[in-house]
Amino acid sequence: MSQPRRSEAVTVGILALQGAFVEHQAILQKLSLRTRLHVVLVRTPEDLQQCDALIIPGGESTTIALLARLAGLLGPLREFVRVKPVWGTCAGAILLAQSIEGAKKGGQELLGGISVTVQRNGWGSQVESFEAPLEVEGMRDHERPFHGVFIRAPVILSLHPSPSDPPIQIVSRISASLLPRTQTLVPLDEDDTDPRDPRTIVALRQGRHLLSTFHPELTKDDRFHEYFVRECVLPSVA
Amino acid sequence: MTTPSTTSSGVATPPVPQGAGNPTGTPVLAPTRSTQAKDGGSSSGSLGTFGVKSGLAQMLKGGVIMDVINAEQARIAEEAGACAVMALERVPADIRANGGVARMSDPKMIKEIVDAVTIPVMAKVRIGHFVEAQILQAIGIDYIDESEVLSPADEEHHINKHAYKVPFVCGARNLGEALRRISEGAAFIRTKGEAGTGNVVEAVRHQRAVMSEIRKASVMSEEELYAYAKDIQAPFHLLKETARTKRLPVVNFAAGGIATPADAALMMQLGCDGVFVGSGIFHVSSGDPAKRARAIVQAVTHHNNPKILAEISEDIGEAMVGITITDEMKGGRMASRGW
Repeated sequence: MSQPRRSEAVTVGILALQGAFVEHQAILQKLSLRTRLHVVLVRTPEDLQQCDALIIPGGESTTIALLARLAGLLGPLREFVRVKPVWGTCAGAILLAQSIEGAKKGGQELLGGISVTVQRNGWGSQVESFEAPLEVEGMRDHERPFHGVFIRAPVILSLHPSPSDPPIQIVSRISASLLPRTQTLVPLDEDDTDPRDPRTIVALRQGRHLLSTFHPELTKDDRFHEYFVRECVLPSVA
Repeated sequence: MTTPSTTSSGVATPPVPQGAGNPTGTPVLAPTRSTQAKDGGSSSGSLGTFGVKSGLAQMLKGGVIMDVINAEQARIAEEAGACAVMALERVPADIRANGGVARMSDPKMIKEIVDAVTIPVMAKVRIGHFVEAQILQAIGIDYIDESEVLSPADEEHHINKHAYKVPFVCGARNLGEALRRISEGAAFIRTKGEAGTGNVVEAVRHQRAVMSEIRKASVMSEEELYAYAKDIQAPFHLLKETARTKRLPVVNFAAGGIATPADAALMMQLGCDGVFVGSGIFHVSSGDPAKRARAIVQAVTHHNNPKILAEISEDIGEAMVGITITDEMKGGRMASRGW
């Protein structure tokens, strides 16, 4: 982790406290881009300082938050999210949400950064985990579906950007027919098949942040990682 | 829904996640789904695929899974940073001490634990007891451990784990055993170690055996691999995949005898992706279980940082009383169960 920082390279950190961080690292290292990417596994505040952008991987959000606090990373991470691009997948999306439902008893710490409310384990237990093809707006070869892997995934319940926040841009939705059948916590007025139901959103952007409730790092498809680097990371370091 | 990744030619190749304890290993990802192209842009979702089963194990990597016997312990584990809990009526040390037949826990007790925490909940079934597995799937458990810690229900067959939407973890002492379990549908492997002893020696033996056999296989010619597959009684296609990627095709945790933060870090440095702690946390005579649990969680994350390991190992009370592993010890060798 102590490689010298190359000035022409962009350093993307991956929060490596717990979860599927190595999968993100593998895809980032294989991306072919004109800009050189330097990938850092972040476990300490010193690691984080080197980074121009950060990915928060899937894992257990309660575990990652506790380890971040114990490593003295919570403050530095919140500061990082305020000024630099961050992408959260699954547990990472939970940590980036402004508020959550289904937190552990006594509540749990979040980083915030994206003006959404999400429901943890929105589909239920592992037996409800699923895979489904997704259309992703703005991705290379976007007519070719992206394979979405949803594992005890969170569900986006509502978007509430304040006027001073950057607008939220929907990146991908799933079919309403895939929504949790048993969800009872948030009775929505709309018809379940309403395509604008926020619960159908599985990826979105707000400013330089990206959020996905599924796991692009569990596929061999690098298009989502390329999207993050191209759309969120490179414009912010230029 | 769809039969989990079983093709006409047998078992599909499972994904090959890269280990947290093996940062230089070959990165490998979820299997290419044959359904993927066919589905196109349709709205169908596939439940219980091998991809989501092994994918959950990938999300647990770098974490600690703790044995708990009630909702209160489960909450302590969650607060201490456990990435999942294993719900059971007696921890292995007590199963050893009490003797008799050890079975699946009461579903009511498991459901109380499910209700108490937000992290994944696992539970154990006896080797070969597919009805206990059906029951656990019906109550919506997140992972099943087909475990040698309970008394085996079948001395010849393991459960056909492909037939379930819920994923399975199984113990293994060597590469052949691990690959046999994966071919039966296990989406997650752990060392067997020797549960309930507080003695890490067997877990080390099993992890070293797996790693050494993988290294051996990785330099073999195809002809040699055919012979080696026969020798270690492993399916050839899984052995070939393992040899190519130089790691097990699924996530591999340490289990059986881990009692201290240093034990946990040792297993991570030996190439494990995470750690199960059974009796080592709540079966201590003195000290604060929460503190010990949290220290083990930190040790797994910072397993390569001796300075942090020293800090977290300080003042966590006495570890569980370990026992010397012999054939005559109470409860016998559990690791020899499984075929």
